[in-house]
Amino acid sequence: MNLTSRLAQEGITCRIEVRDRLAIIVAAPGYLTAAVRADVLRLAKEEGFTHLALELDPDGAALPGN
Amino acid sequence: MESPSIDTARLKESRLAEWLREQRSVLIGYSGGVDSTYLAVVAREVLGRRNVLAVFGRSPSVPNDQSDKALAFAAQWDIELRIVATDEVDDPRYAANPVNRCYFCKSVLWAVLCPMARDQGMTTVVDGTNADDLTGHRPGSRAAAEHGVQSPLALAGLTKAEIRELSRARGLATWSQPSAPCLASRIPYGTPVTPERLQQIDRAERGLRALGVTGDLRVRHHDDLARIELESRLIDEWLLPDNAQRLVQAVRAAGFRRVAIDLRGFRSGSLNVLEGVAAA
Repeated sequence: MNLTSRLAQEGITCRIEVRDRLAIIVAAPGYLTAAVRADVLRLAKEEGFTHLALELDPDGAALPGN
Repeated sequence: MESPSIDTARLKESRLAEWLREQRSVLIGYSGGVDSTYLAVVAREVLGRRNVLAVFGRSPSVPNDQSDKALAFAAQWDIELRIVATDEVDDPRYAANPVNRCYFCKSVLWAVLCPMARDQGMTTVVDGTNADDLTGHRPGSRAAAEHGVQSPLALAGLTKAEIRELSRARGLATWSQPSAPCLASRIPYGTPVTPERLQQIDRAERGLRALGVTGDLRVRHHDDLARIELESRLIDEWLLPDNAQRLVQAVRAAGFRRVAIDLRGFRSGSLNVLEGVAAA
């Protein structure tokens, strides 16, 4: 199981970039509400990530969550 | 964090003053931070101006404005301050950024300050290590021990919270100042510390401060990506669309291509956790 699959199971669509124990979430701006962010944090921790960051203003026309 | 008892803190301060008196004179490795500032003021009070010399090590790993602040503070409190260049970035063992990087930095610093103390007739060299600092990953303290540097705040049992409380009671502006470790602490171990990376971090953090970001703040350097750590209570506010855009502009202006905000917020020693050097 990886974080992207866990999130998908919860209906959260975003791209995850993994850098060691840091997960960077790439999603459309505004898609991750405070409640969704809390869920993502919980799942990331369960998956062994010590750090979770949300990219601001990511490049890319087809961002997940758009 | 629970507020410390001011009575307990004052008792420890008496112990500190007594210890300083026994030394007769001290040279202080001075950073302008909460701890060494408090130590410098107490030492100045106990020993008098002629018997206290504060020395600030300037290098690319120290934020640009920190030496100006240190000079202003020393003038205000009538403390003799000297600024010396330490240039630890030129040491390849430091620049390689191993997990014991701080050991090499402090070795360079004390190798300059200890002979200076002897030349100036100062009996004891001291630093601002406090009682809380005795736990955790602190390879710099080995360099201090090797050079015979003493840590009177820790010896007196003074914790960071107590030092803040006592600083406030003395009217020191530093009492509420966020901790300000060197800029290299924002670069993951194994990624070389270069003047360019340090300048990028310094510019980004200054840019964010100029936007009005308050409290603890770190811009962690992950090559093309800057990961901003803010106090967790501020994250929602800075994620509002207009604010987020301002963060992005400020950090991109410092030379980062991508910008991310850490959703767990600021954690002291965060990169130690990421690298597995400290527990999550």
